[in-house]
Amino acid sequence: MKMLLLLSLELRRLLQSRLTWLIAGLTALSPALGLVLYQPASAETMLSMYLANPAIAGGAAGGVLFGLLSVFELDRTARSRVEALTDAAVSPLVMALVRLLALLAGALLMLGLTMLLWLPVSRGLIGSVFDGTDYILAYLFFMGLALPLGILSAASAYQLTRRLDLSLVLFAVFAGLSLTVWADDWQLCWLNPCVWALSDDFSNFRIFRSVAYMRLTWLAALAGVWTLSWLCVRQNGRGLFRSLLWSARRIYRPAVTLLLLVCAVSAYAAQPLVDRSNPDETAAKFYELPYAEGVVCTGRSAQVFPDTSAGAVKGRASYQLRNTSGREQRVAFGVNPGYTISHVRADGEAAPFSVSSYQEFNEAMLEVVIPAAEQVELTMEYEGFPRENRNLSVMQGSMEISGEYLCLENAALSPRLMNVLPGEDGYPASIEITLPASMTVIPFGSGGAGVIAEHEDGTRTWSCEMNSTGGILYAGDYIREDIEAGGLTIEFYYGRRHQAVMEAAGAADAVRAVVECCTEHYGSLPFDTGSRLKLIQSRVSGGGYAADGASLLDEADFTAANLSDAGKGAGAGEVMIHELVHQWWGLGNMFDVSDPDSPWSAEGLTVYTTYRIARELYGEAYAQENYVEQWQKAVDDYYLDFYVRNPDYLAKLPAEKQLEITNHLTYVRQYCEMPLKIWKAEALAGGREAMDQILSSLFNRELDPAYPYLTYQEFLDACGLTEEDLSLV
Amino acid sequence: MKIELQNLSMIYPNGRQALRNLNLSLEAPSLVGLLGPNGAGKSTLMKLLVAALTPTGGSILVDGQPLERAERLLKARLGYLPQDFGLFDELTTAQFLDYMAALKGIRDSRAAVKEVLQAVNLEEKAGAVLRTLSGGQRQRAGIAQALLGNPQLLIFDEPTVGLDPEERVHFRSLFSRAAQERLVLLSTHIIEDVQSVCDSLIVIDGGQILFAGTPEQLIRSASGHVGVFWEKEVSGEPEKQGLRITARVHTGQGIRCRAVADELPAYARPEEPTLEDAYLYLISREVVR
Repeated sequence: MKMLLLLSLELRRLLQSRLTWLIAGLTALSPALGLVLYQPASAETMLSMYLANPAIAGGAAGGVLFGLLSVFELDRTARSRVEALTDAAVSPLVMALVRLLALLAGALLMLGLTMLLWLPVSRGLIGSVFDGTDYILAYLFFMGLALPLGILSAASAYQLTRRLDLSLVLFAVFAGLSLTVWADDWQLCWLNPCVWALSDDFSNFRIFRSVAYMRLTWLAALAGVWTLSWLCVRQNGRGLFRSLLWSARRIYRPAVTLLLLVCAVSAYAAQPLVDRSNPDETAAKFYELPYAEGVVCTGRSAQVFPDTSAGAVKGRASYQLRNTSGREQRVAFGVNPGYTISHVRADGEAAPFSVSSYQEFNEAMLEVVIPAAEQVELTMEYEGFPRENRNLSVMQGSMEISGEYLCLENAALSPRLMNVLPGEDGYPASIEITLPASMTVIPFGSGGAGVIAEHEDGTRTWSCEMNSTGGILYAGDYIREDIEAGGLTIEFYYGRRHQAVMEAAGAADAVRAVVECCTEHYGSLPFDTGSRLKLIQSRVSGGGYAADGASLLDEADFTAANLSDAGKGAGAGEVMIHELVHQWWGLGNMFDVSDPDSPWSAEGLTVYTTYRIARELYGEAYAQENYVEQWQKAVDDYYLDFYVRNPDYLAKLPAEKQLEITNHLTYVRQYCEMPLKIWKAEALAGGREAMDQILSSLFNRELDPAYPYLTYQEFLDACGLTEEDLSLV
Repeated sequence: MKIELQNLSMIYPNGRQALRNLNLSLEAPSLVGLLGPNGAGKSTLMKLLVAALTPTGGSILVDGQPLERAERLLKARLGYLPQDFGLFDELTTAQFLDYMAALKGIRDSRAAVKEVLQAVNLEEKAGAVLRTLSGGQRQRAGIAQALLGNPQLLIFDEPTVGLDPEERVHFRSLFSRAAQERLVLLSTHIIEDVQSVCDSLIVIDGGQILFAGTPEQLIRSASGHVGVFWEKEVSGEPEKQGLRITARVHTGQGIRCRAVADELPAYARPEEPTLEDAYLYLISREVVR
């Protein structure tokens, strides 16, 4: 009771200080830095740009500001000699604790005010995909928890040194480490968490868990350090060490310090989110395993039970193996390193097994000894919180498992056979997965999925057939539209939260237009199996990919911001077309992306094809005005650009400014100059039909497996032109 | 309440010995005046008594318990005004006292604050921000916080510094009233502050107790050692003759001097000592020794 009263009085005192309100004002404004200056989340989703970046920037700035406030407040109290009065009333330890709690309460108050202030701003910027839960969690974890860390570290520095200057230096070094040397270590960057993306359309619990885990680890560590410094609070005129000894005579005090530090170190060492995959990404130990002699897989099945509230997975897998070797064999599986394996049985008998500590490409190796019998039914159970690949630890979030979204790939779905050859029918697999009724299951590939049972707890069990050692399952709160186009049925899946944006952009019409036009002019997609093609909008992942019968569309390509990018199309519907055209130019036909500044990229042919589709849909005049004339204008400006004409001056600019100008110039060259060159090539090669034939031949050309990319020279050769022919100068 | 000092010594980390082997017993009710020149060790003793310092030798007993074990108990019954203190300048006087009342665990803080504001004549400044107060008003605010909750032990280190004569008189009577049922320790180098109100005096110099007793005893000890003379009667320097001049008054007949000495010279006429004479005589003897 007394403590609460003291806390409220100390807080009131703190709030009467002008410095506190200066810090509070700056903290409340600091998320603006994330909109203009400090943008660590590089993905172009609305939540990344308008929620993650402001919250992270707010956390970094707020953490530093509250650290400074802590040092100045503690020093002001000491310098004002008011301690002579307070120390005569209560122990300095009590006062130190009260001051810390007041600073923490002040930080909490400021966080609440900042969240209230930025709510309408974020809501307005993010638009229809705004989500209250994401907003609260982002501000709480990305920003909010940075403030106590700043306070604890700065207050510790002051309590240990009792010097303003030294405390500021120590705090600056500690914050600087996070912003520089530790910035790419997701566990160490206490001030600026590694967040590269937030999904607009699906949940973000995995990345929130990751940041919360990092922050709580640091909270325990810094609370431990603070407690240690608290024990060093000078008492009765003693120095640092004598005060420490004096304070530590009550054994529970050093015990709490030790406990907090042990908790922090344990949490750091035993983090459950990221695996220990070999950082050498050329290592292929698991892929070089010799096949088990005389063993083939004739079938497999799995029952998977994701825990969508905990983000974990539980499952049972069984494998039908034929062992004709006449001997026991060691069968290897790739398992997600976060899973524990149990109840491994061969034909009902416990089978010896081991899981390797070595990990590679997000897998650990489970080895099971199977008996010499010819037919072996191998079963096992697995359970745990799937871990992500260490080599992608700064891009966490891909293992999202929630009631809104799930993606289980290969070893995360069920143990993946590593060294067993397929039977006559391949690796026929039957996967059952039980999920909340709101989720739609989408196997990535040509196979379908259907509900086989509905349960009273509001879940449904889906069954899907696959034929591989692993397999990928997507599930989420998806809307499915079946679109007939180009002789195919396109299963178009997109997140329910994105419905308004998709409908406004005419997504279904765009899909139809693109598939019909591209199929007719260039040919079918290499991953189209003939009758059905799944287009699945995925959670933000840094790019799409495709396999037989399915292709992934990264949600970042369909954000409201991207759909209003005039460089890609004249309107949202045409940007949608642009992104879908990438299925042909970019995914169906790949381009070398090793030089991101190269004018020849997937964008040139994609923008050109978008123009062609717009021309078919809206007429020549429209396409001319909104595409060709726009390109021409941008290219004319480009050739007149001072830095293009005087590249020496560009080299003299600061690196940051150079990058900004170079990026803009690259954008013009990829999105305007190259489409204009292709448009010119169209005229020189004999018109649109001739260009369609050229592009069709390129699209369907024989690929060199060593370098499967379409080059500019191949394009020029196919057109019978030279670089000079397409010069626009 | 009873405080006992047993062979109390204090040596600062820089090697300076501030107190040496002090033995003393203080018991309520009493108003104890602590006198001594600057650097005598008064503030060090005060800080030791409020546990702001740890003695390097000896011990302090509070009601028979060693201070290191009775620190919380002591602080719960203590009102302390250090010589050098600060206030939370951003707070108003009432807020500051409310804050201090909370620190002291006073339940009805509003009444307690009102009471001490009255006691120190600072009611009209209750709502004033502390940074706007004058030096004397700040000193009164400091005294007020010490009085909060009617503590059984009041320790004031130079409490009347910065106060005008009228306020000093007021506070002397306030301390006197407070000492009727409590132990009040008043450290000062202003003799007038202790002369009229203290029932007990401690004179300290060079870290040692030179005198502990009643003011009357101290005065008696100087009897026959105080004299007056005309300056023109003295040939040579009086200090070289063992005299310590305590007052020089310009009159129509010349400069009249008052002095203390172990042995008064013939030209000095004996006078009844005052407390100040006695104090100065005591200190001068110590200096000679």
